[in-house]
Amino acid sequence: MTVRELLTEMKDMSEVIIDLAYASLMYNSTSMAERVRGLEDEMDDLKFATRYKVLLSSRTREDARQLSGILEVASAADRISDAASDIVSLLRFPPEKRPFITEMLSKADEKIRMIRISADSTMTGNTIGRLQIEASTGCKIIAIKNRRGWTYDPEDEMKLRANDVIIVRGTDDGADLLVEYAAGRKDWVFEEAVPEYVVEDEAEEDLQNEEELSEEIRGEGDDE
Amino acid sequence: MMSKIASMLMELKDTSEMMIDLAYSSLLYDNTEIAEEVIALSENLEGLSEKIQDEIAQAGRTMPDEMARAVVTIRLMDSIMGIASAAESIADVVIRGLGDHPVLAMSIRDSDTTMCLAKIADDSVLADRTFGEVSLSTTSGMFVIAIRRGKDYIFGPGDTTRMMAGDILIARGPDEGVAYFKDLADGTEKSI
Repeated sequence: MTVRELLTEMKDMSEVIIDLAYASLMYNSTSMAERVRGLEDEMDDLKFATRYKVLLSSRTREDARQLSGILEVASAADRISDAASDIVSLLRFPPEKRPFITEMLSKADEKIRMIRISADSTMTGNTIGRLQIEASTGCKIIAIKNRRGWTYDPEDEMKLRANDVIIVRGTDDGADLLVEYAAGRKDWVFEEAVPEYVVEDEAEEDLQNEEELSEEIRGEGDDE
Repeated sequence: MMSKIASMLMELKDTSEMMIDLAYSSLLYDNTEIAEEVIALSENLEGLSEKIQDEIAQAGRTMPDEMARAVVTIRLMDSIMGIASAAESIADVVIRGLGDHPVLAMSIRDSDTTMCLAKIADDSVLADRTFGEVSLSTTSGMFVIAIRRGKDYIFGPGDTTRMMAGDILIARGPDEGVAYFKDLADGTEKSI
């Protein structure tokens, strides 16, 4: 893995691990807590792999300056996973001793919710990637339970089937909408397939727009 | 009725997550102003954490049976503060001018939850609408974490925050949400 890939992986993991940690407390799930500990171990490996690669690539003073920033970011991502692992260790206390947690998570800006996919839902038989659930509802799937058991941070290729249970993170509006689709009260709206050359043109345009705006938000003091 | 401690804990959690989002965006755009906000938020959290501690110490005096719950709360608070402190470290990298290695920005763009900017055009459906009116995150998947308006920033906009033409939105979300989100802002997409 390159440093770029390692950092990407660490950032992804640092975000999903927090959601999983809170969800494990909410649903009193020891298997979810185990997954959090597993991710925390993986994060340690990634951190050391990053350090090793970064130190190897340092040749000049300027390299060292920039690379020290990378090392600090990698260590911050690892500290996030440590915090998540500490959170799941609270499972050793009985649920009635940690009532604030559910109360707290049910009022947060973005909430964690558990939703069952009904046999009537038009979502069934489709992959998460085909449905583009997050782009269509703002809800990110953090875990799925099907006949084979739990899958955490599922891949886009995973298919949703009737009676699967998903745990999502999202705003109230988004989760309410997803419940409608999942219950089969509302038909899923599939995006029309756009020809590849259009997608590429748009991506090119978006990238250019992104560069222009990045320049625009650079603070005055950032120029030196 | 939500207890005082629970609502303070919730604020602590929401702020810690906003700090992470802002910290990664400060890194992506190598932006010290956003990084400074992360540091300011961490100072707010210190104050909030002290209030929670006082509240628990108070509760302990009258309700000795609540000791286990107090331990859980303190430990959870400590973990949340750990998350906030990680965000602060990332912001500190930007403030020290050490965040400009291109690999950092690339890895944020590559990740499952990416970030992007969008400027609101005069004829955009978002112009002069509040977040509550348009539920942008539900329709596009993109969650706005900050707005640049003129020389100022609005951090963590809420349902009642109004978007104006000329605003630059800083959002996080899935890659598939970016194109539609940018189209909504620049006025090419009219249906929301």
